[in-house]
Amino acid sequence: MKGVSWVRREAKIYVSIGVMAAAIIVLFARLVQLQVVQQQEFGKESEKNSIKKIIETPARGLIIDRNGKIIVDNRPSYTLTITPFQFDKNLIDEVASLSGIDPEEIRNELADAKGTNRFNPIKIKRDIDFKTISYIEENRDRLKGVSYQVESLRFYPNKFNASHIFGYNAEISEKSLNESTENYYRQGDLVGTTGLEKFYEKSLRGEKGSRLILVDVNGREVGAYNDGNNDVKPVNGSDLFTSLDSELQEYAEKLMGGRRGAVIAVDPRTGEILCLVSKPDYDLNAFIGSPDAKEINRLFNHPEKPLFNRVTQTRYPPGSTWKMMMALAAMASGKITPTTTISCPGSFTFGNRTFEDHGGYGSIPVVRAIEVSSNVFFYKLGLMLGIQDYHDYSAMFGFGSRTGIDLPNETKGLLPSQEYFDKVYGVNKWSQGLLVSLGIGQGELGVSPVQMVSYTAAICMNGMYIQPHIVRKIYNSSTGIETPVEVKKRQIDMSQKYFDAVKKGMYLVVNGSGTAKNIRNSDYLIAGKTGTAQNPNGNNHSWFVGYAPYDDPKIAVCVLGENAGWGNMFAAPIAAAIMVRYLSGNSADVFNENVKMEVND
Amino acid sequence: MDRKFFDRFDITLFLSVIGLIVIGIFAIYSATQSSVNNSGFYVKQMTFAIIGLVMVVGITYLPPRYISSLSYYAYGLALVLLLLVLVFGRTINGNKSWFYIAGFGIQPSEFAKVATVMAVSNFFYKGDEDNQKFSVTQLLTATGIVLLPAILIKLENDTGTTLVMLSFIIPMFFFAGVSPFLLFAVVTTVAAAVLAFINIYYFAVFLALLILALYFFKKHWLLSAGVFVINVIAGYSVSFFYSKLQPYQQKRIMAVFDPASDPLGSGYNVIQSKVAIGSGGLFGKGFLQGSQTQLRFIPEQWTDFIYCMIGEEFGLLGAGVVILLFGIVIYRLFTNAYLSRNRYMMLACVGFASLFFFHMFINVGMTIGIAPVIGIPLPLVSNGVSSLMSFLLMVGIGMNTYRHKDIFLS
Repeated sequence: MKGVSWVRREAKIYVSIGVMAAAIIVLFARLVQLQVVQQQEFGKESEKNSIKKIIETPARGLIIDRNGKIIVDNRPSYTLTITPFQFDKNLIDEVASLSGIDPEEIRNELADAKGTNRFNPIKIKRDIDFKTISYIEENRDRLKGVSYQVESLRFYPNKFNASHIFGYNAEISEKSLNESTENYYRQGDLVGTTGLEKFYEKSLRGEKGSRLILVDVNGREVGAYNDGNNDVKPVNGSDLFTSLDSELQEYAEKLMGGRRGAVIAVDPRTGEILCLVSKPDYDLNAFIGSPDAKEINRLFNHPEKPLFNRVTQTRYPPGSTWKMMMALAAMASGKITPTTTISCPGSFTFGNRTFEDHGGYGSIPVVRAIEVSSNVFFYKLGLMLGIQDYHDYSAMFGFGSRTGIDLPNETKGLLPSQEYFDKVYGVNKWSQGLLVSLGIGQGELGVSPVQMVSYTAAICMNGMYIQPHIVRKIYNSSTGIETPVEVKKRQIDMSQKYFDAVKKGMYLVVNGSGTAKNIRNSDYLIAGKTGTAQNPNGNNHSWFVGYAPYDDPKIAVCVLGENAGWGNMFAAPIAAAIMVRYLSGNSADVFNENVKMEVND
Repeated sequence: MDRKFFDRFDITLFLSVIGLIVIGIFAIYSATQSSVNNSGFYVKQMTFAIIGLVMVVGITYLPPRYISSLSYYAYGLALVLLLLVLVFGRTINGNKSWFYIAGFGIQPSEFAKVATVMAVSNFFYKGDEDNQKFSVTQLLTATGIVLLPAILIKLENDTGTTLVMLSFIIPMFFFAGVSPFLLFAVVTTVAAAVLAFINIYYFAVFLALLILALYFFKKHWLLSAGVFVINVIAGYSVSFFYSKLQPYQQKRIMAVFDPASDPLGSGYNVIQSKVAIGSGGLFGKGFLQGSQTQLRFIPEQWTDFIYCMIGEEFGLLGAGVVILLFGIVIYRLFTNAYLSRNRYMMLACVGFASLFFFHMFINVGMTIGIAPVIGIPLPLVSNGVSSLMSFLLMVGIGMNTYRHKDIFLS
């Protein structure tokens, strides 16, 4: 045998033990070097100069409206801190009366922090007043370990709430702290929890910096490590440039008053959101500083759910505002043409059930059916379409899926399909009769106001469906870096004739003999559709979707009033007032001029 | 007890292991005593140490056949657990490698190390003759047995444990009878790549030594030249690929080899741990008296950086005793491998010895600044139930090997 290809076990053991012994000698040698040769040097360093890392939190990015006005700002605030290592527990009562916190609470905070570095200041209360700061400064020598930090907190310089748009920041929960894989957050950090604050958290928060300082054995700061060469400067957060119109937002919130419901207005040409209101709303200031636990509990447990964003997170039956969808689907699938007439008596019987209408209209084409909001016409369309076409055409207008609005936790709504009914009722266990109600936007159909406004915008733009969005641009003023915002657009493939017919119907709703004659405006041509959605849990929901000007759309609106009754009574006047206000450059107020007339669907 | 008992019971291994565990419990107590949340850690560690030592004695008396026949089942179970943890596991410090059952954190990857060594031993076990011949397919299969769990662990984002999984391939192949020249070629290629990356002069010296070694192997000159060329290519291609990386990626790789280049990240811990150990001196600052550790300049000092605690409070004496005890444990595992007439047990002991060695060398080396910062525990000493139990499982099989050293399996 040539060379060493066969080795006895002893030899292998010698090799292994040899390698191990050599490695252990290396470790020993290094230990001797550190602990004997360099002991003095390291000993001194450990007595005097230990390095500590101080985290520096950057200022959060601002939120700015379409005219360049800051609508979410920062303000400096003082946070009372206690450093356990230096703190004398007999001072707890004095600190408590000073800051207005229960002494028990301070004891709890100190007990909670026992697992962490005793030299790290613990945040006791955010946003303390300047008088307290002066008192701490004057009694510095006596109040050992009591100090304060400067932090920036949110400040809203507005006459409106926009609570569901902005959202609030809160201390990061232990759960998200554990689940976070990027090792960025620390206990006590504020993190965007709802709204834009959450959706754009990574852009808004910036990047933390850190300083390395030398501290002595008593934890006192001696100086900067390595002359600060290893320090990392924090990077401020990026600002969000939104398409919101502050004045329109304020106006819309005022119009909704104390009612429950939702308003959303977009520029149909771009998908940019102009205002977004969900009522009841709340005051974001409740979440700032040391949050008021009682108020927050009240908000979380309130039966009307004020924290819920009704524009994006709730689904409702759309009622008659759905009829344009049916008309488009029926025409595009070839079931009817724009001129086909259908007989519309005062009621419709399917199987042994009779479905009512508000009146008989004779034989009418689709434009007239939208104008007068005939139910029988659309009961019949529902049946003609069948569930497959019903689902597929509605899906083209974004129903049953998220619009992609830049707010968290958007609902998909509910758009029934063959599979859905098979699952709920069983295969062949459900009748085509379900399609009768679905034809007029009732039954097992759920849409959100943001889906409705996007659908309305797509109709007035002849099928151009644009992802609705609030943020136009993300710009970091300290780095000069602009992050592009991607907006998805698609052209719905349908003949222009069909859009023309539907738009004509919507025009006549307001300007013909239709259901919303009360909101006709002499300066701006409004087109739209009312809806009054039945609802098993109480009064009807009042809907209106529309756009203006009719011949050159610049704004599309959806208004929903929960349990507010007829569409033309509650929702239509508010929608019209918002459109006229916006088109007049935020000057005209036509809300009170809308003559209340006979109730109509 | 009479001599006969000690003839069958590896008391040296057993006592060394107990010594390491006891030092570990003292160090954990010292590292956590000022903390409310973690002050119970040493009690938990002590409880499981006792359960584990009972388990060690139990395994010692098992018939070796049982152990080898369990190998593939243990391996299969380990794979299932690794898959489950990927789906249902909880993320801690960025690693998705934990199960929580009734408040206890369990890390399947710790168990997977033992099971994989057992599976490889069983795969190579074909009768008790040394130095069998293996086909290329067999070698690739054996490598696959190790890579499969290693990849799953990498998917959990646990790079440290993934490297640990690769540490025992070469020693086990060597003892199984794979051609030393083949292993030499593989090892030198990896070494060439690493050295060329660290410093071009190291690489040059390495190539000179390589020529010398190849001469002593006395293989055909073409074969030797081939190995040399592969080494040179490995060295150069590393520098080439490194230069193609983005600066931030280069920085991340640099930080592993040179922690000082990243003083805010891993470098921070190394600076602090060197100060802690260095300031300990010959006899240390005394139990509970370490200013670096008691002032918590070192994060997680009860797990991966526990050696700082020992170095600072017990000095060179304590730090040296720990290395010595590890030396004895590893030495005993190798001697038991040597003594065993049972090839399965021989291979398993070699695998376990490699695991102990790799863990100890990297962990201690990282705290004294001569090894890259890889988050792996110090066996038997670091706080952590999964790690403690899996290393005691290895000790148990090592003890069993000694007891049954004269018994052939086949």
